[in-house]
Amino acid sequence: MPNAIGIIYANSSTDNLQGLALRRPIAAIPFGGRYRILDFALSSMVNSGIRTIGVVTSQPYRTILDHLGAGKAWFLDRKDGGLFILPGVMHSLAGDGHTFCVKDLRENLHYLQKDFADNVIISHGDQIYNMDFKDALNAHNDTNAEVTLIYKECHTLGDPIHERVIKMNEGEKVSGILDKKVSDSGTLVQPHFTNMLIIRRQLLVDIVEQYGSFGCRDLVDIVASNLEVLRVYGWPTCSVIGTIRTVKDYFDRSMDLLGWEVREKLWLGENQIHTIIVDNPPTRYTSQAKVSHSLIASGCYIAGEVVNSIIFRGVIVEQGCKIEDSIILPKCHIHALAKTCYAILDKSVSVNAENVFRGSLNHPLVVLNTAVS
Amino acid sequence: MKQQECVALLLAGGQGSRLGGLTQNRAKPAVSFCGKYRIIDFGLSNCTYSNINTVGVLIQYKPFLLNSYIGLGSAWDLDNPFSGGVHILPPFLGNSEGSWYNGTANAVFQNYEFINFYNPKYVIILSGDHVYKMDYNLMLKFHKEKNSEITIATIPVPQEETSRFGILTADEEARVTDFQEKPLQSKSNLASIGVYIFNWATLKQALIEDDEDFHSDNDFGKNIIPQQLQDGTKVYAYKFQGYWRDVGTIESYYHANMESLSAGHFLNVFDPKFRIFSNEDTLPPHFMGSSAEIENSLVCNGCIVHGTVINSILAPGVYIGKGVYIKDSILLPYVKVRDGSIINKTIVGEKAEVLSQCIIGAEGSHASDQEGITVVEDYHIISEGSVIEAGMNV
Repeated sequence: MPNAIGIIYANSSTDNLQGLALRRPIAAIPFGGRYRILDFALSSMVNSGIRTIGVVTSQPYRTILDHLGAGKAWFLDRKDGGLFILPGVMHSLAGDGHTFCVKDLRENLHYLQKDFADNVIISHGDQIYNMDFKDALNAHNDTNAEVTLIYKECHTLGDPIHERVIKMNEGEKVSGILDKKVSDSGTLVQPHFTNMLIIRRQLLVDIVEQYGSFGCRDLVDIVASNLEVLRVYGWPTCSVIGTIRTVKDYFDRSMDLLGWEVREKLWLGENQIHTIIVDNPPTRYTSQAKVSHSLIASGCYIAGEVVNSIIFRGVIVEQGCKIEDSIILPKCHIHALAKTCYAILDKSVSVNAENVFRGSLNHPLVVLNTAVS
Repeated sequence: MKQQECVALLLAGGQGSRLGGLTQNRAKPAVSFCGKYRIIDFGLSNCTYSNINTVGVLIQYKPFLLNSYIGLGSAWDLDNPFSGGVHILPPFLGNSEGSWYNGTANAVFQNYEFINFYNPKYVIILSGDHVYKMDYNLMLKFHKEKNSEITIATIPVPQEETSRFGILTADEEARVTDFQEKPLQSKSNLASIGVYIFNWATLKQALIEDDEDFHSDNDFGKNIIPQQLQDGTKVYAYKFQGYWRDVGTIESYYHANMESLSAGHFLNVFDPKFRIFSNEDTLPPHFMGSSAEIENSLVCNGCIVHGTVINSILAPGVYIGKGVYIKDSILLPYVKVRDGSIINKTIVGEKAEVLSQCIIGAEGSHASDQEGITVVEDYHIISEGSVIEAGMNV
């Protein structure tokens, strides 16, 4: 068993998701037909053998607490360790750009102090990945690092995923952590920090005690300004990592799942993504159903046409409907002859008969369940 | 430990030999049904729905897959030790006695101590190989109202099918006057559905007497019930209204599955108030490829479909390659069908693999056997280009 506990920051919210993150943190947005975004970070940690995981949450709580429960779906309903909810502080502005706010941990210092593990693996809860942390943890111990930043080689132009790039000497020792905006090294491919790191537990406790009472200080910034006194290393990963910050991100990362390669890496390896099970019946297709190049969850009733789309659990698509390039969240009901194209329907949206919702590839239309009567 | 009013015993030890290849590796209650379910899900979910929280599952034949499926019973919310929960009850040895379960009544008799431990007022005996939704509380209420000692749940069956069932004759007060096990000539069309409620005191006495009778086959239908009727015990027939199917033969298993494809199906697994739980793997949503065509079918999580599927049921994790044509068939969990194969009116067993360009269920000389339903055994690999005639078991 790895000598580490986990922390997942599931408290970031944003206005860039057109209301999808209005009543829930980004981490609790449904994703990929039956999951929520948080499931990916949580399952990766569990599959890496971590048995104690704290989830940092903030208002609004309901969805995330409802989803996590006692952590049973992730086998975290343990006597020894298990799932811990770490209520974070209230942030004044939604989406104020912090990665890992130290103040959030100050309220939960006990979680860090009472454990015996040497290391803490910290990840953001608003990204999609299926990763084994064991190799990173081994490297962290082999180099005797105090902090190991997990990075991925990305195109600075093409891959819009992360905000920070790191600079390393030989031997992967980190010499600089820079904002992507200000870094101007001229090279196209740079090591992007993936918002996942491993830190010595005692060091984290010290940092929280020292910096926790100041406004909202970012853990990564604190590490960046102490590079000279800390042993900070990088560790490369080649996992698929998708960060969700905007509607376009959400749409593109979802549609990536229709490609075999992404699905294979994310879902079809030996490490499964776990989520709560609701025991839906199988999905029923009628004789009129036409479905191609789509992902469809259980408990649906499909009588219309579905193309290039992702359909979540318990969705009803009536006869004569056409769902094209759309993402339909759980329990939506699309009445007869309605059409959607480049649309994202939030949970439980009911589309009236013959209605048409049309967005575009670059601006997918988000339909909230408050928006339609 | 809370005193339980009613304890359930689920008879799940039968081999189910009439299901042929489907029960080669597993007990009948562990056979997959309607895509995501297994037959035992119905009995266990009924118990949960009826608030019967102490369930003993009697096992004997090939128990491993069944045991691991049931686990602690948490998938059915039956993992509450305060009110009993699920207990797996295999045959066992004592100091001087002990043997395999020899008949249904003997199996219950051997678990005398289990029932005594909870010392309930009533014992409900269920069989683990039927597909049905039933609120046992309604039957228990009937049992109490009639001041009955033994209550047998019944449904009316067509006169020509009476020879397959235990047939009861009851007077206008619903008191049973006669019981015939699989009669050639029947006096009534009320068939027992294998659900009995006994007063524990009555059952205790009946089991002891049955055990002492060396001529007895130790079977509820054949011995206990007729003997109790003869002894003048108060036996009542409860008329169950709702969906109930026996899935003991390849033909009945096939038809019960296929019925779930028709609209307005009785079983109504979609009913949110009475859900059927199951212990499923967490698989991703199913993927329909660009060349997929689907018509009137059920598809479960984790499937990948590139071919044509008509009037069929795909259980979790099934793979359908390009150019495959599946019609009127049931594919059990994790079946793989490679490119270009044709499958017609076939039950393909769990984890079986059909390599490319096969034809299964081709018209041929066996067509009259088991209504022309072809069965491929669990884990079987059908080599490339094979042709298997309809009605065969491979």
